Amino acid sequence: MAVQQANDGAAAPATGTGRIEVTLSVNGRTYHGTCEPRRTLADFLRHDCGLTGTHLGCEHGVCGACTVMLDGRTVRSCLMLAVQAQDAQITTVEGLAGDGELSPLQESFHDHHGLQCGFCTPGMLLTADELLREIPDPTDEQIRDRMSGNLCRCTGYQFIVDSVRDAARRRGS
Amino acid sequence: MTAIEHETPGLVGARLRRIEDPRLLAGRGTYMDDLALPRMLEAAVLRSPYAHARIRSIDATAARDLPGVFDVLTGTDLEGLVDPQPVIYQLLPDQRATNALAMATDRVRWVGQAVAAVVATDRYVAEDALALIEVDYEPLPVVADLQSALADDAPRLYDGWSDNTIGGMGYGCGDVDAAFAEADVVVSKHMRTGRMAGMPLEPRGCIATWDAYTDELEIWLSTQSPNLARDLLGDTLRIPIHKVRVRVPDVGGGFGVKFDFYGEEIIAAVLSKRTGRPVKLLEDRLESFTATGQSRELEMDIELAAKADGTILGLRADIATVLGGALGTVGIGPGWLAMTMLTGPYRIPNVDVKLTGVLTNRAPMGSFRGWGQPEGCFGYERMIELVARELGLDRSEVRRRNFPAPEDFPYTTGVVFTYDSGRYADCLDLCLDAVRERGWADQQAAARQEGRSLGIGYGFHVEATAFGPSRILNLVGLQHSGFDEAVVRMDTTGRVTAFTGQIEMGQGVETAMAQIVAQTMGVPIEDVTVVSGDTMTCPYTGYGTGASRGAAMGGGSLMLAAGKLRAKALRIAAHLLEAAPDDLEVTDGRIHVKGVPSQTVSFADVGDAAYRRLNERLPDGEDPTLEERHVLDPENLAWSYGCTAALVEVDRETGFSHVHDYIVAHDCGTLVNPAIVDGQIHGGAAQGIAEALYEELVYDDEGQLTTGTFMDYCIPTFSEVPPFTMRHQETPSPHMPGGMKGMGEAGTIGAPAAIANAIDDALADLGVTVTTLPVTPSRLHALIQTAQEA
Repeated sequence: MAVQQANDGAAAPATGTGRIEVTLSVNGRTYHGTCEPRRTLADFLRHDCGLTGTHLGCEHGVCGACTVMLDGRTVRSCLMLAVQAQDAQITTVEGLAGDGELSPLQESFHDHHGLQCGFCTPGMLLTADELLREIPDPTDEQIRDRMSGNLCRCTGYQFIVDSVRDAARRRGS
Repeated sequence: MTAIEHETPGLVGARLRRIEDPRLLAGRGTYMDDLALPRMLEAAVLRSPYAHARIRSIDATAARDLPGVFDVLTGTDLEGLVDPQPVIYQLLPDQRATNALAMATDRVRWVGQAVAAVVATDRYVAEDALALIEVDYEPLPVVADLQSALADDAPRLYDGWSDNTIGGMGYGCGDVDAAFAEADVVVSKHMRTGRMAGMPLEPRGCIATWDAYTDELEIWLSTQSPNLARDLLGDTLRIPIHKVRVRVPDVGGGFGVKFDFYGEEIIAAVLSKRTGRPVKLLEDRLESFTATGQSRELEMDIELAAKADGTILGLRADIATVLGGALGTVGIGPGWLAMTMLTGPYRIPNVDVKLTGVLTNRAPMGSFRGWGQPEGCFGYERMIELVARELGLDRSEVRRRNFPAPEDFPYTTGVVFTYDSGRYADCLDLCLDAVRERGWADQQAAARQEGRSLGIGYGFHVEATAFGPSRILNLVGLQHSGFDEAVVRMDTTGRVTAFTGQIEMGQGVETAMAQIVAQTMGVPIEDVTVVSGDTMTCPYTGYGTGASRGAAMGGGSLMLAAGKLRAKALRIAAHLLEAAPDDLEVTDGRIHVKGVPSQTVSFADVGDAAYRRLNERLPDGEDPTLEERHVLDPENLAWSYGCTAALVEVDRETGFSHVHDYIVAHDCGTLVNPAIVDGQIHGGAAQGIAEALYEELVYDDEGQLTTGTFMDYCIPTFSEVPPFTMRHQETPSPHMPGGMKGMGEAGTIGAPAAIANAIDDALADLGVTVTTLPVTPSRLHALIQTAQEA
């Protein structure tokens, strides 16, 4: 699964039959590669782009651990094929923090013990990020409703709700 | 044992943010599937679609011929090469062995049992090849459930066995018959707890590299028990373990299922040796439903005898644990613990409890957080409320009447265990106070005015933690130990590295240990690094990270090792300061003469004197270097306890139950980090709520799992799990370092009983009695209808 970052050189040639070229932008960087049409976006991000922060918890679209932002909306990267993401602008968890500094949302999860094993956390962060852009000052009920498509097996959710609520407060202040 | 004097006050007990978090939040964790080794291949497993069948033949020719496929392995390839999968709990007299190899050879006994494995360039190709393997099965009659397994004419899972049981045993004390004869009231119930699983969000996986030239086996394994895995790899592969190294990446949740030792570890190792390549073998989510240990399922007949004032006189119980088609790593262990803890927090002078292990054509049973204790608590906490109901007494008063008093500890239950310490009545009051503060009684009354059914239920539990005294565990039948070894090292710059055999799997033990070590040594927490997850470089933990032992056993052993190291550092500092060690104290990370802050050295000075510039600075008789080791093999388990209260609304039209509010009052001795403790109990409670209402592995008459995806196996979401209110009291363990007890499983234990009691309370006018978990809408609707018709 050859992948080259497009700004590092020429496109990687397609090898073998049945492979398709894919170009997409992840966290502001352009990735260009070839893959089989059946390759999921999640596998492309994880194994071809080396962005392993996106996790696979069920591969049938229920748990939400693989959630990424695609053209401004959250999607389940296990339910999409890489070829469907051609030319898309994608944000993964690796794109939330910069220069060794956590984002305010990530800081809030840190402050409120909003994670334990961390496996669901990337999906939680991207879902919460989308929520807070659409509802800047959500009630607990709105947080629980909007986040209910993401499963966490560790925390019992309370401290995630606390984290998101406080992140909203920080953004508002 | 007295607590180590704390030199940095406030670290233990502080609500610190976790050390683990920043890299996990930034997406920089390294979980099993994030690892890739040079030349690595990927494997996939073909699993039985039948619950019970003979394997006539396997044809893997087409699979082998697929480009990209390196090897195909079947069960017969393992015969003579490896030993059967180990069962570390041999608890029953003459316990029968199922002797299952990592893959089926001539017969499959559950849907999902491994039949063949392919290793290829990547997982996509490996799965393509699985579809090309042809297995000729001859279906056999299926033993679908407990009743059909126990029938006289039941098909046998194992040829030559007289029945489908692996054996049984019991415990008793007092004169039970006399107790029941003199009782004013006897309550009897048949109860059933459903089958469920730990289901960490990261499934299991490993990468095995078994080099045929060096004979070294290195395995990256998503496990809670690396030392156990290393020993069991040695036993099963028949190799000495000095060349076996188990390494553990970030673990995306464990909950017990990653404590157990699975056939996939053997399959990956053998495939690696055969191909000469590192082999990655992950289970996907659908596989995890049947390839990973299931748990909880048992049925019990239970009877409680009491006097008219609520004093319990006797307990009888007969438990059948519904095992799968072979024994898992922990055998009947959880069923045994359910039985032995059936007296719960109560003085019961006359006890007769029995246990039988019954095989069925379901997936094997394994470990899951709580490990029999939620099932046991469902029994004793349902029965105590039913006795109160029968006698027309207040349920809290009945509980209080039967608690051992604080001065009764150490309290011997009469069935195996001695509880070390407790203030049960205080903990009950703590919970009742919180219920009052949150106004549940008013809410309940208001709801009834509106025609809604709101119930309040309690579950008071006792938890076995800090497991445990090795020799006693061996006597009971554990083929492994319970101690923890710890090593603490200070480097040339005065910084501290703590080595543990415990595993961080999300529960925050890395932070808790750093707090303990920093406080004991008197250094800032930033100066402590905790190292774990490698059998080559880390100490031996007798058991692993399970049984609520991480902070208490791992942290306790580190506390004692750090205490020894601090003493050595002070001896060296005393020499440097020309003072006596007893005259020194540590403040703000510096060592100085008591009352003379100017007469001071730093830990860096001590490190330098111990490692680099020794002459005239290291005292005579002291070895260079700063490193100490301690082995903690406790004299007893440490017994935590708590009281759960649930506010549950029942919709009588649909049978649907929803938990509105939830309180846990808890005592785990000394709190190391209250935020972490709260988080652990929240998460456990969510799993307990799931056990009570939502999650069930449902098998049909053909032994097919009908709830094998996250679409139909209902892990509760943000919408189902209520907000939590926590209350803590601290009653230090008298025998554990620092007075610490464990609490990792606490949340799971009291939940099912509390919720079932709340549902009964919501439907009190109908006299409904919940006896089966989970309380699904269809089950509860049937109970409501029956009650309404009566």
